Amino acid sequence: MNEALVVIVRGVIGFFTLLIFARLLGKQQISQLSFFDYILGITIGSIAASLTTDLTTRAWPHWVGLAVWTFLVAVLQLLTLKWRYAGKYIDGEPTVVIMNGKIMENAMKKLRYRTSELLEQLRLQNVFDISQVEFAVLEVNGQLSVLKKSQYQTVTTQDLNISTNYQGIGTELIYDGVVVEQNLGQVNLDRTWLDDQLRSEGINDPAEVFLANLDTQGNLYIDKYQDHLQKLTDIGDYPGPH
Amino acid sequence: MKKLIYYLLPVAILALFIGIMLSGSYLKQPRGEDDSVSGKLVLVKEAVQKGDWKSAQQEIDNLEEAWEKVVPRIQFSMEKNEINDLGVSLTRARAAITAKDIAGALMELEEAEHHWHSLGN
Repeated sequence: MNEALVVIVRGVIGFFTLLIFARLLGKQQISQLSFFDYILGITIGSIAASLTTDLTTRAWPHWVGLAVWTFLVAVLQLLTLKWRYAGKYIDGEPTVVIMNGKIMENAMKKLRYRTSELLEQLRLQNVFDISQVEFAVLEVNGQLSVLKKSQYQTVTTQDLNISTNYQGIGTELIYDGVVVEQNLGQVNLDRTWLDDQLRSEGINDPAEVFLANLDTQGNLYIDKYQDHLQKLTDIGDYPGPH
Repeated sequence: MKKLIYYLLPVAILALFIGIMLSGSYLKQPRGEDDSVSGKLVLVKEAVQKGDWKSAQQEIDNLEEAWEKVVPRIQFSMEKNEINDLGVSLTRARAAITAKDIAGALMELEEAEHHWHSLGN
């Protein structure tokens, strides 16, 4: 029995099974996961690891376990999507921990959520003075959403009655030295226009460009492979290995 | 067509994986005369019961050769312990046959048969 070969084959089975199952479960980001989702992820990963390296049992029971856990997660996802009550029951609800500037001690006690944790999460939201907070909500995923009192909120251009231009998503026209013809067509421009723009920057070949991005104002950002910087800023504060 | 491939590809991959994982019971069946483990086990047992030690020695050699041929086919779908245990039983049976110990040889051959039937179940 060639153990390494068996582990390679079982590793391929575990890897692609996990990839397919993860795609099946959707696009929830780690930051949006509830505590239970997090534990589920760890368990499913652990089963996949056993499938790969635990040669004392057949691969099949591990694979069935993986499929069952994935299936149950999918069922829970569907259930919480279709039935709001189940969603609240399983995932819990956001809890208001500061209301009208007052700390909700009872709510915090129920959540076993410490004042030090509240202050820490406020600081992570750039709030260093709790008196600036009107509302704070502890979300299901453990993150804190903060609404500052109106006098402490950041002034926007709308507040100052300043008109602004539309700003949308930029379009990549050159990526890694290759012109993205599809994107060029999407913004109704052609290769001649792009070549003119590059020549005006002293670039004769798109292959010299690492990234070219066109914003909705029509400005073209170009970054070349050769940056010709005289002195690089070093943010390191200690002489390390590099 | 693209959409069909999009959905069909993962299904085909999963089906292939399931096939590999469940192939053991099928692949342990003999493909020819010289890789029939269960058939050769019977022949060794018969020779031992008759006390024909020369023939038993020959048959246990054939049995081990057959087993060596089957292992590479079933290694991806079977448990390592069961494969190892069957190998150990055959080695012990060979020793018992060399020592002309009927009881010992039969015990090990029965155990080997048990492991053989457990493979994939």
